[in-house]
Amino acid sequence: MEVEISRRKFLQGTVAMSIVGSAALSTNLLSNNHDSHGSSAKPGVVSFHNTKTGSDKGHDVATLCEMCVNKCAALARVENGVITKLNPNPMFPKSKNMLCARGNAGIQALYDPDRLKYPMIRIGEKGEGKFKRVTWDEAYNAILNGTDKFPGLSTILEEEEDNRSSMLFCAGEGMAEHTFKQFYQAFGSANWLNHASICLQTVASGYGVTLGSYPQADLENAEYIIMAGANRAEAIVTPDTMDLFKRTKGRGAKMICVDPRFTNTAAKSDKWLAIKPGTDLAFVLALTYVTLTEELQNNEYIEAHFNDYEKYKNSIIENKYTPEWAEPITGIKAEDIYTIAREFAAAAPKAVYYPGRRSTFAKNDFQLRRAMAIFQALHGAIDTKGGLIFGSKLKLKPHEGLQPLYEKAQARAVIKSTDKEGHQGYDDCAVVSGGGSWIGWRNRFLEDKMPYKVRGMFCYKHNPMMNMPNTQKTAEMLRKMDLVVTIDTMPSDTVMYADVVLPECTYLERTDPVKTFGGVEPSIAVRNKVIDPMFESKPVMEILKGLTTKISKPLFEISKKFDEEIQDMIDEDGEEETYTEFNLTLPFLHTQEELNHHVVSGYPGAAEKLHHDGVFYPNQDTYYKQLAANQFQYYPENKKSYSTRGGKPKTPSGKVECLIGSFASKGIDPMPVWRDEYEFSVPKGKFKLLTGRHAQFTQSGSSNNAMLRDLMPENFVWINKRVAAEKGIKFADMIEVSSSIGSTRLKAYPTEKIAPDQVFFIHGFGEESEALTWAYKNGGNDNAIIEDTIEPVYGAAAMHETNVSIKKV
Amino acid sequence: MARYGMALDYKNCINCKACETACKEENGILMGADKHRIWVGTGEIEGEYPLLDLTSNVFHPSQCQHCDDAPCEEVCPTQATYTDENGIVRVNIDQCILCSYCMNACPYDARYVDDRTMTVDKCNFCAETRLARGETTTACQATCPTKVRIFGDLDDPNSEISEVLRTREHYSLKAHLGTKPKLFYLT
Repeated sequence: MEVEISRRKFLQGTVAMSIVGSAALSTNLLSNNHDSHGSSAKPGVVSFHNTKTGSDKGHDVATLCEMCVNKCAALARVENGVITKLNPNPMFPKSKNMLCARGNAGIQALYDPDRLKYPMIRIGEKGEGKFKRVTWDEAYNAILNGTDKFPGLSTILEEEEDNRSSMLFCAGEGMAEHTFKQFYQAFGSANWLNHASICLQTVASGYGVTLGSYPQADLENAEYIIMAGANRAEAIVTPDTMDLFKRTKGRGAKMICVDPRFTNTAAKSDKWLAIKPGTDLAFVLALTYVTLTEELQNNEYIEAHFNDYEKYKNSIIENKYTPEWAEPITGIKAEDIYTIAREFAAAAPKAVYYPGRRSTFAKNDFQLRRAMAIFQALHGAIDTKGGLIFGSKLKLKPHEGLQPLYEKAQARAVIKSTDKEGHQGYDDCAVVSGGGSWIGWRNRFLEDKMPYKVRGMFCYKHNPMMNMPNTQKTAEMLRKMDLVVTIDTMPSDTVMYADVVLPECTYLERTDPVKTFGGVEPSIAVRNKVIDPMFESKPVMEILKGLTTKISKPLFEISKKFDEEIQDMIDEDGEEETYTEFNLTLPFLHTQEELNHHVVSGYPGAAEKLHHDGVFYPNQDTYYKQLAANQFQYYPENKKSYSTRGGKPKTPSGKVECLIGSFASKGIDPMPVWRDEYEFSVPKGKFKLLTGRHAQFTQSGSSNNAMLRDLMPENFVWINKRVAAEKGIKFADMIEVSSSIGSTRLKAYPTEKIAPDQVFFIHGFGEESEALTWAYKNGGNDNAIIEDTIEPVYGAAAMHETNVSIKKV
Repeated sequence: MARYGMALDYKNCINCKACETACKEENGILMGADKHRIWVGTGEIEGEYPLLDLTSNVFHPSQCQHCDDAPCEEVCPTQATYTDENGIVRVNIDQCILCSYCMNACPYDARYVDDRTMTVDKCNFCAETRLARGETTTACQATCPTKVRIFGDLDDPNSEISEVLRTREHYSLKAHLGTKPKLFYLT
């Protein structure tokens, strides 16, 4: 809970209501026969009991959590067909016998009465949220043939002359994203957008081009940790969070927390540095300056594993990135920067500048990540115990997919362009990654700057209305799409804009593709189905099987009309044989269980082990031991993958890349340098808006969870206490926060944990879907006011570049 | 027969509320923000930004202390509150008349009202759920990401908790009241 109120006063800020719990829930209660979701916001109407687990043994099913991205291993306790408890599964080296608050509250996601229960098609206006319950066949038919309200795929592909790229495919992160991607590839579109550009794109790419990989941090053995712009106590990452906080506060690991906000991570640190937002790059460059001028670097490592070290060194020194230079830019005292660089070097290689795991905050984020990676490497703390590690990974067998070529399918809807200085890039950004630039793409779509018509989209487990800056533009985009098909578990804000809604079952009701988890202690884990899907919901695998069975043949008929290559193939081999290469149902012929069995078939006994225990790795039976009540051994110390490459980076050259020449032609600094426009500034009377995560909520996906609402009923805007006093703002006063693009309302939390020129609130609240009983208009929506600032290299959304004003209302 | 207690490595606590949630799910605690058997206490931050006192913001996980000399038991007029054969302070809801004397007597604020039964509820070390099934950990201990809790038999010299209390410094809350808590905070 961010807002600190003493225990028994906690109710003050909440609404008294009866809330949905788990076990005593009958399916009758959930299956209210709504014909539309138009007016089902009804706080207090649904009553729900939370009952204790039974006293008999029950039975456990090994699964993987999906309440956030970590995929921690859980054992689901089932009593009489009902899941009554989720417990940590101790066998998984990644999650090490833990389940956080959200993991425990997965039961409320499963038994949420607001869940999507059956297929629906739109009968009202777009975005109005009026739907009609239909059968699965009617829903598939509507996708193919449309209704009087919207066109179907056959009309769209007919009119677009079989340009398969006229449909956009987008997906959120998850194990079954893999399954959905099979559909995208078979369908033949070139337009794929995923969460990357609103998530890890710049950090993954920054480390990727510099070290050849986005490494993990060995926080179990690191003795010095710079935790900058990462909040591991609240944005939990396994195993990092568990490894780290057992050793902080004078117990083996010294942690320096660098964050504009005083977070729970700051509370657990040895030193907290309140940096000005967006200036971390200057901080790292100054640390690097100290290392290089005081000769604290690891020359042996540099000699063996660096490209262009001298050029980088010269750049740092010639630019005079001294701690004294960085002090006014960052707000961090020069003497602190000297001390930290020296302490880091003394602890190296058991020292970590933590890579972090978050979305892009500032426009310079890509360069920041490069500078962090190089600073780490200068001390030789790469691929070593206690440093950044590449680890090892257990191989899985590939399985067959389908990726036909359609002659008329156009290339990806991106536009190459050259700027005034002659730099080659794209309209949205300099480099277009696999996941694309979501907001760049969206904005161009709205501005009619597409190379061809994109008419519709398939959206899987993804909530663009809530997950990216400028909600209004996203709404406009969804309204402008002729056909929107959503596959989801909840009636999210995005689902409200759908033409066809396909209800997926939750993670506890399906088996997902088996996954291999690399690291110091590699393993393979699987999400096993715990109970059968409720209502008419299905796993995405079965949804796509049904959908492709419906659309494959009719769409092939359209291709036959326009695709000369297909016509030639038919002339040569006959229609039946030609169709086998375009049969969209092929990736979905096998069950998920069969596919999983196949991909682990290289390991004897793995399939059975995964089915029973959820986790497998070679020699598990001899390695895995319980050492104490809270302590397990997964691998003996001498079998752990601390160092797998003798420190050698994974870049194509095998070197740490200080300078990337090819970037210069794209207008990107080939080495990390500071630019004046990166400096932090806020106009007088305004505040920089910061956003972030929290240990009790995972973005909008968990905002309707009844159990989690007990822990944090709504989000509050952090305002510096002295500023609040000046403005006469008291705790829980309603505040309107506005930017150039919109406004949102939420309650005030005056605190000294934030700077006087900044405000903060948690992301994921303030949904507008009336079908979400608890999330509807609960708290404020950050993306309603975050301006769509595009990070220039990968087109990521820069989340902390918006100035706002606040007003008591 | 055992004498159950709990040692808390409270410096590990990151205030993530996994314990509170696991407790609620396991023991069927009434839904609602003020209904919980366990909680994490936090201190209000001291100082002015950016000069804040890191030590003022300590996270202090807490729950019923299962006192050997429990004031709640002493004041209960109907013997609804009792110490069971394993040293766990429990409430017999059939005998509770909701006089709330126990709530006032408890120095640790560890009791609340369950509105479903209109009786007083509190932590019972999962006696009716996990312990009844023969399990050896409480829900809060098992789920904790940073492993704050060690639960076990204080009378068994070979138990992990006995070993930890022999080898590590610890303190009890409000020890001067003479309640003899069976929760021990490790320093």
